[in-house]
Amino acid sequence: MFREFKSIFNLNWIYVFILLIIFWIGEINLYSAAGGSLDPWASNQLIRFLFFLPLFFLVTMLEPKFIFNFAEIFLILVLIGLITTLIFGYTGMGATRWIRIAGFNLQVSEFTKIALVIFMAKYFHKLNAEKTIGLFKSILPLIVSVIFFILVAIQPDLGTAVIILALGLVVIFYAGIKLIYPLISIGIILSISPILWTFLKPYQQNRIQIFLNPDLDPLGRGYHIIQSKIAIGSGGLKGNGFLEGSQSSLDFLPEKETDFVFAIFSEQFGFIGSILLISLFFIMFLIPVLKTFKLTQAFNKIILFVLSFKIFFEFLINISMTIGILPVVGVALPFMSYGGSSLLSNLIICALLLNFMSINEKKRMFS
Amino acid sequence: MEKNKTSEDSIKILNRRSFIIIIVGAILSFIVSLRLFSLQVINFNFYKKKSVENKLSIKLTPPLRGDIYDSKKNLLAGSSSLYEFVVFKNLSKDHFQEIKKLDSLIKLNLNLGEILKRLKNYNEYSGFSLSRASWKQIVEFEKNKFLFNSIKIIESKKRYYPYKNFSQIIGYMGQPTQSSDLYSKGVFHLEKSYEKHLKGTPGKIFSEVNAKGKTIREISIEKSIKGNDLNLTLDLSLQNYAQSQLPTNKKGSIVVISVSDGSILSMNSNPTFDAQIFEDRENNKIKDLLNDDQKPLFNRAFSGFYPPGSVFKPISALVGLQRNLIDPQKEVFCKGHSSLGDRNYYCWKKKGHGKVNLKKAIKESCDVYFYELAKKTNIDDIASLSSNLGLNKEYDIGLSNIGKGLVPSKKWKKAFLEESWYQGETLITCIGQGYNQTSPLQLATFYSAILNGGKYPIPKLDKKIPTRFTGKLLNNEHQKIIINSLNAVVQEPRGTAHKLSISNPEFVKIGGKTGTSQVVRIKESEREDDQYKSKEIEERFKDHSVFVGYAPYDKPKYIASVIIENGGSGSAVAAPIAHKILDFAFKNNV
Repeated sequence: MFREFKSIFNLNWIYVFILLIIFWIGEINLYSAAGGSLDPWASNQLIRFLFFLPLFFLVTMLEPKFIFNFAEIFLILVLIGLITTLIFGYTGMGATRWIRIAGFNLQVSEFTKIALVIFMAKYFHKLNAEKTIGLFKSILPLIVSVIFFILVAIQPDLGTAVIILALGLVVIFYAGIKLIYPLISIGIILSISPILWTFLKPYQQNRIQIFLNPDLDPLGRGYHIIQSKIAIGSGGLKGNGFLEGSQSSLDFLPEKETDFVFAIFSEQFGFIGSILLISLFFIMFLIPVLKTFKLTQAFNKIILFVLSFKIFFEFLINISMTIGILPVVGVALPFMSYGGSSLLSNLIICALLLNFMSINEKKRMFS
Repeated sequence: MEKNKTSEDSIKILNRRSFIIIIVGAILSFIVSLRLFSLQVINFNFYKKKSVENKLSIKLTPPLRGDIYDSKKNLLAGSSSLYEFVVFKNLSKDHFQEIKKLDSLIKLNLNLGEILKRLKNYNEYSGFSLSRASWKQIVEFEKNKFLFNSIKIIESKKRYYPYKNFSQIIGYMGQPTQSSDLYSKGVFHLEKSYEKHLKGTPGKIFSEVNAKGKTIREISIEKSIKGNDLNLTLDLSLQNYAQSQLPTNKKGSIVVISVSDGSILSMNSNPTFDAQIFEDRENNKIKDLLNDDQKPLFNRAFSGFYPPGSVFKPISALVGLQRNLIDPQKEVFCKGHSSLGDRNYYCWKKKGHGKVNLKKAIKESCDVYFYELAKKTNIDDIASLSSNLGLNKEYDIGLSNIGKGLVPSKKWKKAFLEESWYQGETLITCIGQGYNQTSPLQLATFYSAILNGGKYPIPKLDKKIPTRFTGKLLNNEHQKIIINSLNAVVQEPRGTAHKLSISNPEFVKIGGKTGTSQVVRIKESEREDDQYKSKEIEERFKDHSVFVGYAPYDKPKYIASVIIENGGSGSAVAAPIAHKILDFAFKNNV
């Protein structure tokens, strides 16, 4: 199940270093979000991080074969988890997203993303396609993705559900579906979107309308976007400086420790800081991706590429929300938003990435 | 996994697709960066301004309103303390329960539904005023203070009017219509017209607030600046004395002005009202006042217009003199009436005055003399002199509803009644009846014009305004003749107001003119007759009693214009009142 301990020295320590830098920036940011206090967020998040660290290294040491073999089991586990959430879940803020396990509130949907990618990686690996994949062979992963999308969407958690569906589609695209199908799908989605609109809950419709025009409700739902833009815009080129973000410290910004944590960062560190942060995340995305070019196993390539993309994708979606180019749908900023499930799932992803980056295919690891 | 070794082609496809996704990712990053550039660099100033506005709160503090004083620095309108029950939402979650408790404990009769509705959207940290608190209520509240965490008693200011006799000049304040109004504004008379002068400048407290409006720290404070005081020409003692002289059961008005500079020394109207009820929110009294058909809000001194009656006669006489239509010494025979065409125009004295010259005509108020003069006169000459002596002047002295009155002329009749002028109308105009409409204030300035020789000072209420003259100079000789005649009205036997100098010889010696302004032309012959059969005539058809007088007669300082509606003859009612008031003014050197 596990590799030899010495293989820990083969880990990509540059990647670990970047991960630590981003987490540290997140800590500093939570500290300033609390007006220069470790309490309540920064300290809690650090404790969680340290608590998750053993698990993190454990995952880096897992045999890839074990992950390959248990791909379906993982998916069934999250399926059970999601159904349990729907039935016994803990309700907060109008949504049932969490289940209590051993004193922790766990958001199963976060782990669904990982399990789904692993499952689909295995599926496409087995297909062993010689050319591009036809529509028929993409149907099963598509159906699985849609089922998980629905299970999460009815919690309701549209943000996570959209990410799940998007990851499923990215895997299908990456695995090599004929380009014609994505293009046709986009056409179909655009043409039926008015009908999809009617399936959205009123609050979701509301969010999208207000996204398109925040001034519809400047003190209500539009308030988030307006205040976030004010905080970010007032940061300017160089930012107001560490702990000098007045909008956040004076509570103008709601959900500043979770979905809008980027606004806190950007108000303090400005355009330059924001570009540096984007660059860091982009580098973090590219390191595993570059490794994929050296690998020849579809399973390894898909896991490395898509899971690395997942972190970067969520990062982009989150900041696009805070700067008003995407509707506010509730997607956490990896390693920076306050929250245990998001931190744990992203740490597991990074551990998997480190694990798969250290694969030496020539060594016949899969024997 | 071994078995499923990925084919070369498949690897190629995967690698190609990687590039596509990486490029898409890079493009998305670029779009996000562009947007950040737009927010943080291009529109930086816009958002910076918004962020400053977000956190900066400017709280205005109401200024003290300027005081209003009489000419001797007696306070006529000031500010006094007022206490209110104010609820602060942030102090207790149960603030609405506490309001209910307060309402039942101290019977405030609050509109709880309305309050709940307004409170909902009210800033937690700004106090919401529930109701005024009387001393009794404050005592009751203090006893049970422990029950109320969110309700406090807060002091603020209200207008204070110590003397109700000035309400009809000073006016009153409106009630703030919106909770955002910092202070109430004057809505009537001087309070309204001197609003800018009196209101002052609000203070400002600049503070940094958080998103809920809670003050984090105060940045700076600008103190409020009290409004300017207003010093009036009015005299407290004279105003109160004059009001006491107005018969309480009659409508009427008294205006006293200074001959030398036009200062209005007192200006009364009956019935009157008390402006304080507006400040004390005595809603029942306010309602009664607004519905009162006696119209106490209506100041008859400048809004009430009446036919002047015989006090008008000096104008007719002056036109006769100016146009050389009469020789002041030449006598006209009054047999009690005068005819024009087939109509008789009667003198108030049925038996007639016999031989009458100009002086006697004014002194004894002979109508026939003026009918004969009128026959030779052009109405437009009368109108023009009336205007020169201020009879249709509207003075801009800060009073609401000050009117112009009416000086009839041919042009006026054509325009408004679409009829030509009849000579008979000139006859009755010359004795001050007919279309003539003048206010007591205008009558006072008209006599001031005569006493000042034609150019007379514009009346004023604001002491600071310099004296300005208006009108046209009169011939000195003509003026002397008229004044001599007006003195004779009181000082010489057979004068219509001679009784004044007999009954009160110790009073200051005055000159003046009686008038009886007709409401309905009942019996022309009975006008000016002391034996006027008042009781036989229904009250509201009784004539208005008019007197305009000045004192001392040889060196005039004060002019009093008195009108008592439905009072009867001028000599019997208005003249004694005017005499007393002129005596009071003279003896007290107002």
